[in-house]
Amino acid sequence: AGDAGKGERVYKKCAACHQVGEGAKNRVGPELNDLIGRTAGSVDGFKYSKAMTEAGAGGLVWDETTLDAYLESPRTAIKGTRMAFPGIKEADDRADVIAYLATFSKQAAAPAPAETKTAEATPAPAPTAAVPAADAAVPTHGVFHLGRAATADEIAAWDIDVRPDGVGLPEGRGTAADGEVLFTERCASCHGDFGEGAGRWPVLAGGRDTLKADRPEKTIGSYWPYLSTVYDYVRRAMPFGDARSLSDDEVYAITAYLLYLNDVVTDDSFELSRENFTSVKLPNEENFIADDRSAEPHYAGKVEPCMKDCKAEVKITMRARVLDVTPEAGKENEGTTKVD
Amino acid sequence: QGESVITEIQDWNRYLGDGVVSQPYGVPSRYEANVVRRDVEWLTASRESSVSFTPLHELDGIITPNGLCFERHHAGIAEIEPSQHRLMINGLVDTPLVFTMQDLMRFPRENHVYFLECAANSGMEWRGAQLNGCQYTHGMVHCVVYTGVKLKHLLGEAGVKTNAKWILPEGADSAAMTRSIPLEKALDDCLVAFKMNGEALRPEQGYPVRLVVPGWEGNMWVKWLRRLEVGDQPWHQREETSKYTDLLANGKARRFTWVMDVKSVITSPSPQAPIRHGRGRAVISGLAWSGNGKIKRVDVSIDGGRNWTTARLDGPSLDKALHRFYLDIDWDGSELLLQSRAIDEAGFVQPTKNELRAARGENSIYHNNGIQTWYVKADGTVENVEVS
Repeated sequence: AGDAGKGERVYKKCAACHQVGEGAKNRVGPELNDLIGRTAGSVDGFKYSKAMTEAGAGGLVWDETTLDAYLESPRTAIKGTRMAFPGIKEADDRADVIAYLATFSKQAAAPAPAETKTAEATPAPAPTAAVPAADAAVPTHGVFHLGRAATADEIAAWDIDVRPDGVGLPEGRGTAADGEVLFTERCASCHGDFGEGAGRWPVLAGGRDTLKADRPEKTIGSYWPYLSTVYDYVRRAMPFGDARSLSDDEVYAITAYLLYLNDVVTDDSFELSRENFTSVKLPNEENFIADDRSAEPHYAGKVEPCMKDCKAEVKITMRARVLDVTPEAGKENEGTTKVD
Repeated sequence: QGESVITEIQDWNRYLGDGVVSQPYGVPSRYEANVVRRDVEWLTASRESSVSFTPLHELDGIITPNGLCFERHHAGIAEIEPSQHRLMINGLVDTPLVFTMQDLMRFPRENHVYFLECAANSGMEWRGAQLNGCQYTHGMVHCVVYTGVKLKHLLGEAGVKTNAKWILPEGADSAAMTRSIPLEKALDDCLVAFKMNGEALRPEQGYPVRLVVPGWEGNMWVKWLRRLEVGDQPWHQREETSKYTDLLANGKARRFTWVMDVKSVITSPSPQAPIRHGRGRAVISGLAWSGNGKIKRVDVSIDGGRNWTTARLDGPSLDKALHRFYLDIDWDGSELLLQSRAIDEAGFVQPTKNELRAARGENSIYHNNGIQTWYVKADGTVENVEVS
């Protein structure tokens, strides 16, 4: 059995999506109280993948053995699971985190009896042969006659980008009020209930009039030039780790709610749709300019630089503020800037 | 009398070593275990959307070993079985097409050495010296030889319509990374690459296929490339609006800042590579690069920029690739303030950090190519500093 104390640290990997303990709610993933002994896919109100629901219907119950297999490689254990987490490689870490979760379960984790059905690893699909029949016709397009025509359905499946002029927007609609419910469920664990951001996850709202400040807050309302980018990005890449899981209407609703959080609309009954989408402007649109770096004084002249006695004296004006950041040093330094 | 490593017979001189294929895929000597990519945990919210840094201070020449090329992912490393991968071209073309990897390998191939630099490289230094090590200050750059096919051949196969002006490459990972690229660049020197340094792309570099956009910011080099859309306007995607735009002091922000400016850094000595040999002969080694083409010249100062000596460029000098420079000196054991300053073939001179701040402020995040100063102390240790 694992060490629940150590497991608490391992659990940090899970905490972005799963809550456990008093008041735990479903977030990106289901809450994990009473996980031990729970039938897979059975938490009320959580929208599971078809694969997880079927695994539960097939008799999969979470215990030390089944959780170990699932946590080692979620997508191998349950092909089609929505949990995007890549898995925990170290067996000890898995045992520890299971022990930790067991402390929130009335039924203690016990080694499963041998006959318990465990999730079987699904072998990877056999590579499909890409070799055409020898007598297949050579295509006529282009110069090299390589590739084949894309079908309309294939293009529709992948071509989901949206431009500021509205090209690419799908049919659909959603209100800010609907978006609030979705945002709380699917987005707030990282972005905060009001888009204020949790930890180092992006802040989505506020920051108006901070762009000239010492610490600008670049949000949808304060910085982003176009609303289409919000729709496009949420639709293609959010929620983090569960991309493409929102319907077009849900993306409209979440986008509407983000407008509401940023005070671009003030009524939560506001409904965003393909029809009214391009009428919404974001406040900072006019403040983007073309690349004019080559006109900067240090570049423009392409001046032959000084080689001798270029300055009278040299003084050290700044020294590295973060010392010995080498991870092996085991120091937890907090920097003042972030990369995005 | 003498060193025991000479006077006594050593184990490796007496006993047999491991046989062939003891490592089917070879790995570095165990004594090089410190030559690894590193990350800075506090920088990002998760390792799946984060960055690791190339250990520039341990490397020489101009080619980065594949396993040491810095990583930048927005949703972790996509694992794609190549027979399941497709590359689609759609939009303003005569025939929207789908290619398999096998199709891509049947186009005429080319090999090119290019640097790839993240636009945020050195971005943590805008407000001042912060990190001790060129791995951290400058390690979001690497340089490999790519094998691939010219993007213009792929676009030509689909037939680009006359009103087309932009392309949108898209990745197959769960960030579905997208960037707008002007058609002119796409038809000029962009590659769709499947090999790096002779072997298949590493998964973290976009296996099985990535876009190569020579001289332009790394974010545009879409990994796990699955689609190229052709259009008549830019798409203003998340990575070219909310990110990878350069906020200036006046509140305006530059967008479409694609070219990586002329830049250099001394890789040794540097904070992670102190002088350990005492006074006497010393090799100052560094890297220079420019998105505008080749490097024409690199000057090195050992007194914080008062006086400069032109360094020796060594090795191949290739368009939009890393260039290696050396300055061989006699170190008298006194303190040094080391700087390097590159000039590219377009005539652009690498600016000081203060010149950049005067023009842009401190909120730009991206495109910090200012001159780096290393403070070498009498004991040979080195610190990241800035000077007047």
